[in-house]
Amino acid sequence: MTVPAMERLVRAARDTRGYVAAWRAAHPDGKVLGVMPMNFPRELAHAAGLLPVIVPDDQEPVTEGRALLPEFYCGFTRNLADQVATGRLDLYDAVFMADHCIQLVGAADVARQLQPETPVFFGMLATSLSDAWAGQKVAEMMNTFREEVEALSGSKVTDESLRASIAAYNADRRALRQIFDERTAGSTAWAPTELQDLVASAMVMDPVEHLALLELARAEKVGQPRDERVRVHLSGHMCHAPRRELLQVIEDSGALVVDDDLWTGRRFLSTDVDEVLEPMEAIGHWYTSRNGNLPCPTRVQHDADWDTWLVESTERSGAEAVIHLMPKFCEPHMLLYPELRKRLDAEGIAQLLIETEHEGIPLEAFRTRVEALVERVLRKRPAYA
Amino acid sequence: MTTRHYLGVDLGSTTAKAVVIDGLGGIAASSTIAMGAVSRRGMQRAIDAALESAGLETAELSGTVSTGYGRKLVPGVQRTFTEITCHARGTSEMVPGVRLVIDVGGQDSKAITVGSDGLVDEFAMNDRCASGTGRFYEVLARALECEIDDLGALAMQGNDDLEISTMCATFAETEIVSLMAQDLPVADIASSVHRAIAARTLALVAQVGKRTPVVLTGGVARNPAAVHFLSRALRVEVGVPEQPQITGAYGAALLALEADQRGRPVQDVAGADHLFPRTSHDEPGHSCAGCDGNLAGPVDLGASIAVRR
Ligand code: SF4
Repeated sequence: MTVPAMERLVRAARDTRGYVAAWRAAHPDGKVLGVMPMNFPRELAHAAGLLPVIVPDDQEPVTEGRALLPEFYCGFTRNLADQVATGRLDLYDAVFMADHCIQLVGAADVARQLQPETPVFFGMLATSLSDAWAGQKVAEMMNTFREEVEALSGSKVTDESLRASIAAYNADRRALRQIFDERTAGSTAWAPTELQDLVASAMVMDPVEHLALLELARAEKVGQPRDERVRVHLSGHMCHAPRRELLQVIEDSGALVVDDDLWTGRRFLSTDVDEVLEPMEAIGHWYTSRNGNLPCPTRVQHDADWDTWLVESTERSGAEAVIHLMPKFCEPHMLLYPELRKRLDAEGIAQLLIETEHEGIPLEAFRTRVEALVERVLRKRPAYA
Repeated sequence: MTTRHYLGVDLGSTTAKAVVIDGLGGIAASSTIAMGAVSRRGMQRAIDAALESAGLETAELSGTVSTGYGRKLVPGVQRTFTEITCHARGTSEMVPGVRLVIDVGGQDSKAITVGSDGLVDEFAMNDRCASGTGRFYEVLARALECEIDDLGALAMQGNDDLEISTMCATFAETEIVSLMAQDLPVADIASSVHRAIAARTLALVAQVGKRTPVVLTGGVARNPAAVHFLSRALRVEVGVPEQPQITGAYGAALLALEADQRGRPVQDVAGADHLFPRTSHDEPGHSCAGCDGNLAGPVDLGASIAVRR
């Protein structure tokens, strides 16, 4: 019996280990690269014949890893440390990271220290994107990444192979974006957990295989008109997928997610790699343009700010409220949150902050808050004619 | 004169409250039953007591709305609303003009700013921490070996100059026992802990912004020391309604009344949602204070879910 496409995508999204095992069986000489979010160009690794997998929070409780990073590190980084401590990160032949936040650098350091046999490569990318020299520095680091993946795989990244990888990832992103656009337009009722699975599976799978399944899943999806729940935008910068039970509680409390800027959502899909430019130049351009397309609190750019993006995004999607999902203690988000809050207040957009934790989320307390937000927004809806 | 009556039920974490109001919003009867954790028996006793005191049978009610953590457990309700909405609604009726409601319940605290229309503006709730809640005061009373009802009077007699290092409900007991082991006056300990709790409540208020007039509701509002220290921390007078524990249930009853005035819902609708006729916000008699913006149209709130990972 054939397994429906959606089910296969869900399996890949929720069982990285299983997908990687199947890929290894089909590619006995292949190597799997663990990629830390959010800035490493997977196209380079793919062009070298590697399977680049964005390392997920595997949602297991933090046990032995507890001693490796302090409690004031975010749950994702502590989960990564736990994956190292308990041998779960052995899944990858190497771990690569392009600069993101200092806590993630700490998690990569844990992997380097505790798993010396696993190559851990950290590449610094310019964070201040308005600086004149940023482009040059980024280009240099992208070349270093290229050399590193070539050394790891033993294969050259040719312009031709890189162009093919760029095209494959772009096609997959485009197809995903189309689905997200349908959700925002209200023509197809994709639940946030479904969309999360679609993106999370794209983070793990080979892009060609993923796209084929995605198209089937889209065809299988029965169109359903949007209902009357309060339209919300889920905003956040967490480097992992929010807990599915939290997403379910949000939609079960009278809210309907119409858009997001989550890493396991629009943030992942924000930018394609230019297929006209020289491929290495295009890879650098991808990184330097991402922040303008969807601002990241770890980057600095004078002409891009998340609060303006958020306001414009709610105008596009018709979201009536914003729910911020902020992991305890995600410094980049915590530092920017007051700006977001002030701006949305000034624009009269209802909002709710949900501070998430790796373990033990108080779902019932969150349900009360979401329902209170829903009640607030419903009272402000214009009267029916 | 009206013969219609409405029931509001607030099933909280430690107490069940029920309020019966008449068709003009006046309180006909109320009851508060302390039953520990969210309890169906406590809820039923509270409902029975309120109905008995009002001289009514369930069948004579024209509408029921429930609120509180156990709101989905209350049988026969037309709608559920969160305690945020209900506390704001009930308090703004009891204390017209209120702008900031601080509700300290059995296991959580909330700060709610209320607009000039009596609607919720902003709200904040304490997170995963029983510090400063009714439960915390119970721990404090036990550690100080005094009755919970005497705790406030005791605290008002002491000096509040002791350093209190933890406000955690779990560790407070050991902290307090250690202070008592130093032979420090019990009244001073009680007073200092109240001061420290008030400072924490300030943090909650900071999330929504300080507005006046301020009203403290919930069982803790009956503790004079809690009111005194909160007032001092906020540097404004803190008002307390006559029956601070029932504001949520009262708000729920008012919402039932207002829904009925708009749509006269049938009495025995199963589940939390039902269809009201759609009217306009500016129709005579419409009060947005009880309106969910759909003019009581269908809202899918709180279907049951089984969450599995
Ligand atoms: S969630 Fe925040 S703190 Fe954690 S790794 Fe990502 S950016 Fe850093």
